[in-house]
Amino acid sequence: MADVIASARAAGRTLLTEVESKELLHGAGIPVTRAKLAKKAKQAEEIAEEIGYPVVLKIVSPDIAHKSDVGGVAVGIDSAKALRKAFKEMMDRVQAAAPGAHIEGISVQQMATPGTEVIVGATTDPQFGPVMMFGLGGVFVEVLKDVAFRVVPLEPRDARQMVREIRGFPILEGVRGGPAADLGALESLILRVSDFMSQHPEIAELDLNPVFAYPNGALAVDARVVLTEAAS
Amino acid sequence: MSGKNAKIGNAGTIDPARLHRALNPRTVAVVGDKGPNYNWITNLKEFTGKVFSVQLDEKEIPGILERGVPNFRSLVEIPEDIDLVICAVPRQVTPFIMKDAVAKGVGGISMFTSGFAETGEEIGVKLQQMIYDTCAENGMPLVGPNCMGIYNRRLGVKFTGAQEQGEGGEVGIVSQSGTHGIAMTIGSQRLGVKVTRAISIGNAVVLNEADYLEYMLNDPDVRVISMYLEGVRNGRKFFEVLKKATRQKPVIIWRGGRSRAGARAVRSHTGSLASDDAIWSALVKQAGAISVDTLEDAIDTIAALVLAPATPKRNLALVAMTGGQSVAITDQFERAGFEVPELSKKSYDILGEFFVTIGGSYRNPFDASSTIGRETDNLAKILEVLANERAIDGGVAFELGSRGFEDGSERMDQMLDLLRKYRDTTGLPVVALMPDGGVMGGDAEILVRARGYVSKAGFPVYPSFQRGAAALGRAAAYWTWRKEVGARPRAVKK
Repeated sequence: MADVIASARAAGRTLLTEVESKELLHGAGIPVTRAKLAKKAKQAEEIAEEIGYPVVLKIVSPDIAHKSDVGGVAVGIDSAKALRKAFKEMMDRVQAAAPGAHIEGISVQQMATPGTEVIVGATTDPQFGPVMMFGLGGVFVEVLKDVAFRVVPLEPRDARQMVREIRGFPILEGVRGGPAADLGALESLILRVSDFMSQHPEIAELDLNPVFAYPNGALAVDARVVLTEAAS
Repeated sequence: MSGKNAKIGNAGTIDPARLHRALNPRTVAVVGDKGPNYNWITNLKEFTGKVFSVQLDEKEIPGILERGVPNFRSLVEIPEDIDLVICAVPRQVTPFIMKDAVAKGVGGISMFTSGFAETGEEIGVKLQQMIYDTCAENGMPLVGPNCMGIYNRRLGVKFTGAQEQGEGGEVGIVSQSGTHGIAMTIGSQRLGVKVTRAISIGNAVVLNEADYLEYMLNDPDVRVISMYLEGVRNGRKFFEVLKKATRQKPVIIWRGGRSRAGARAVRSHTGSLASDDAIWSALVKQAGAISVDTLEDAIDTIAALVLAPATPKRNLALVAMTGGQSVAITDQFERAGFEVPELSKKSYDILGEFFVTIGGSYRNPFDASSTIGRETDNLAKILEVLANERAIDGGVAFELGSRGFEDGSERMDQMLDLLRKYRDTTGLPVVALMPDGGVMGGDAEILVRARGYVSKAGFPVYPSFQRGAAALGRAAAYWTWRKEVGARPRAVKK
């Protein structure tokens, strides 16, 4: 994990790529979809074997902010043959759509079953240091700003209250026949992120957005880690 | 005071025993006090220790001597040890006073002088740094600068004449604003609450919010802590100390304004939503402190915590004097999270024997004026029923009118004796609600006097149902939290 941070620092970056972010979080025991960078199709096949089909492919380029706009996302790839084809087509598509963009490769990711979307994040408050946020994903966070904060380090009761404090909590308990989310798994994910933030003052901000909450378990499917400006 | 040297501010250490000496002085030197009022010397009129003055200005010296205070030309010339220096010189003189205070080995300094970093001027910033460096180097506790300093009830060290001198004490106040520190002190006193000490912290350059909170936590004469804060200097330490403090004593936090920390670049969704308000309210909740938004809320809550027995229970008996008020009182207490349960059949049977139900009701809420209006014995019977009623575990909120009070306090005394007896036998809260404009309220001036009378008798008094309900609700929420985190409410001596 030190490698990920060191290489970003060496490159003068504070924003980690999705692949780097997930590697870091996975190493800290936080449930994230696995994601690895492949430069070539052959390498992508090896990664897919390791992660297991179906997989998702996403273009990795510091010059491309919105991957899907340039055809940089492909989902539901269920075989080695489909993977080779998708890999080549994505490279061609992206190069055509974004000529001159520096492309590091394509990330091969575990494809997660959809669940109830929540957001778990952390940031650094100028007075109180690391703090954490929890909310429901989508419009709940974007429009209603229905989120709960706590100061790191969190105790189990803080995680428990945080999840129950948002107005949208009944959705997690299951409404209109929908399944109830595994609240214990969400709380445990929150506590692991709290530990992670406590142990890594070099991390300034973090978004796990979305995290899929399942009847059993929870899994972060996208991750964004921002380092502090000064190397520490 | 015990414990190892606390790290103070951002560097340096200050011996807790030395801080204790400065905050509990036997000798005080006032430096730079001026006529015509000589405010600092006048504020020390009831000080139980010795006062000295340091003043070079020949025009000011006669006025000081007239007030019976010996004057010296410098701190080092004073023939006794000095526990506290109150410094009121112009800012450019402060380096000399600091130097003398160090040479004299004084306990600590309370610095009223302003014109430091708060001005944004280079000279002010520089002088403030000088103060910090001198204190850090010499382990010198310094309150302020740019503050009203310290109030100590027992010793009669004051920063305004209206602060009481006397034995005992219940509340410790820490305020970033001198005005709010005074208002919280005077407001508490008015409700019959003794403020043990108050500290106006100003720029909090050397000692900060966390240091004062820690001191109040360790002060056995402080049962309840109330703070007015705009921002904190050492957020991490403040959070840690606050979590520790709330497990032993209620801590009220009235937060004003916005943090001085400027806007920062944010590159996450989380960062964009983490407003200063959001983080503060999370922190207060997480640490188990009591959040209030106004001076009135702070004082109301102090009264509930100090004057009502501690309980997390929420099943109340509400006694109002008219039908309309019995609805209004119920609305407010339910809104504040209380239950107004039905009583047992046995209770209703007893109440049915004497309660006047024409123009009255005893279902809970009580509409009681026709029953107790003329017959204090009936109030005794009602309170006896309530004391034996298992459905009521959170005490009584009682509407008290001032009608008849202008003719003497005899009837009021009888009622208060009965309420006191209920409180002391059950160990449950009794709050007195004396609203404006109620039919039982009577003349406004009499009402104000009556409120003062009931306060002095040791009950928390509120001028509206809403304020009483909110204050008792905050207290109950705190005691609930204490129970949840496993610390038992301390038995409250009354």
